[in-house]
Amino acid sequence: MSLQIDRALLGQEFERVVIGPVTAEEILEYIAATAEIAAPAAGADLVAPPTFVVRARGNLFKPPRLGEIQLGFDAGKDIEFGVPIRPGDVLTSLATVHDIYEKTGRSGSMSFIVLRTVVTNQREELVAVVDQRMMYR
Amino acid sequence: MVEQLDFDHVDVGHELCPLRLTLTGEQVARYAHAARLQAGRFMSDDGARREGLPGQIAPGNMSLALFSRLIGQSFPGMRLRHLSATFRVPLQPRQRITVRGVVTEKHVSDQGSFLDCDLVLESEEGERWVTGTARVALPPPCTAASRG
Amino acid sequence: MILDLHTHSEASEDSRATVEAYLKWLARKREAVPIDGFVLTEHRQWDPARDYRALEDRYGMLILRGAEVETDYGHVLVFGVTDEMTRHFNFGDIRLPARELIPAVTRLGGIALPCHPGRPTIGLCEHYEHKPPIEGVVAVEALNGGSRRGEDERVRELIEGHGYRAVGGSDSHLVSFIGVCATEFDRDIRDIDDLVQTLHAGGYRPVDFRARLQASA
Repeated sequence: MSLQIDRALLGQEFERVVIGPVTAEEILEYIAATAEIAAPAAGADLVAPPTFVVRARGNLFKPPRLGEIQLGFDAGKDIEFGVPIRPGDVLTSLATVHDIYEKTGRSGSMSFIVLRTVVTNQREELVAVVDQRMMYR
Repeated sequence: MVEQLDFDHVDVGHELCPLRLTLTGEQVARYAHAARLQAGRFMSDDGARREGLPGQIAPGNMSLALFSRLIGQSFPGMRLRHLSATFRVPLQPRQRITVRGVVTEKHVSDQGSFLDCDLVLESEEGERWVTGTARVALPPPCTAASRG
Repeated sequence: MILDLHTHSEASEDSRATVEAYLKWLARKREAVPIDGFVLTEHRQWDPARDYRALEDRYGMLILRGAEVETDYGHVLVFGVTDEMTRHFNFGDIRLPARELIPAVTRLGGIALPCHPGRPTIGLCEHYEHKPPIEGVVAVEALNGGSRRGEDERVRELIEGHGYRAVGGSDSHLVSFIGVCATEFDRDIRDIDDLVQTLHAGGYRPVDFRARLQASA
């Protein structure tokens, strides 16, 4: 039996956080951990790899009103990228509950919440829109 | 060695040179730390077992990073505009994986040119653990106006 | 005539493929994936307003529509969906009663085929281990492009034991997976009514193009 998620959560603000300033060390560590892009040569502009934006979130992994759950898993993401992230950027991340649905799969019944996070920088430029599908049971 | 591709000479159906690798537990833990995802399940086998899982798993975001790596290495100088992934099976360390991509759409116009790719991360047995898509765009042309 | 009977477009929440991208891909891959059309079987929904005739004309492909619904016996493909069917059964319900749904769909002029029957939890094989068989099942999806090793192999016993016919479908959620498995029909299919009638009558079999596609890469 899947978890019954209250559809009144739809559209509700999930979390708002401000992260940063992003440091060069954080970007370089992320590059080293992923090899997603090559680290720039000394003196060149440092730009974060695209998926660095997944760091721009708070510490909640489920809506506070969700109640008792056994397990939650990241089921997937859709990311629309805007301007790149650079050292010194201060990122504002606003997440809302974008969709709720149920489905069945090999592992049984599952409930999904899609969290939409809009990330902007200190110049109010769009950095990314991240749709994250969280699976709960 | 990943093949670097030129937009003009790539078309629908072109297969990207795959990435083949085996993630270690340490690499997974390092990524989790770098991505601010330090849940026990990502840091060690013991940490995963304490959360009711049989062993360490990699964050789904790590497979996103692998997709982005394949795209970045295949299309240097192009900008990733969109990336999606569906995490079908948890990515586990110490297993040989292959990250593949194929061009599914090529769009050329004065307003902007882009390529779409399907992406798959599969196990050694060919089981699809993560599937996804990417859109990469050519940088906008340098015009006289933009040169100032 | 060869049709992929099981595909998903971006209308399904876990697919990123547009219908036009499918068509462009198939135009390029004609030799490896020689299908004449496909059926969009979106998850848990039916939108009567969607119309792909302009794309059919532009690309010379048959595009039909059905639905993939979720039942207490696993997932089922429904072809020949009508307003009356959707009034009787909420396609968004993940616990539809299969023993009512499948005969009712037939009675209302369509056909419902259990898909990926070898898959754990959402496939018919596992449910038949401890539940009575469903009246009115004519065929099952014996070949599914998204199946894992061993899942399709379980289906042979199901087919032989119950006398079911077999179809194939890609279950594609990405552009490059369309048509990898399909169904070959002995006769031409012009529209959804033809498809429903032919699926009831027989004269088809699943076909597998995965090896051809790999060889062409």
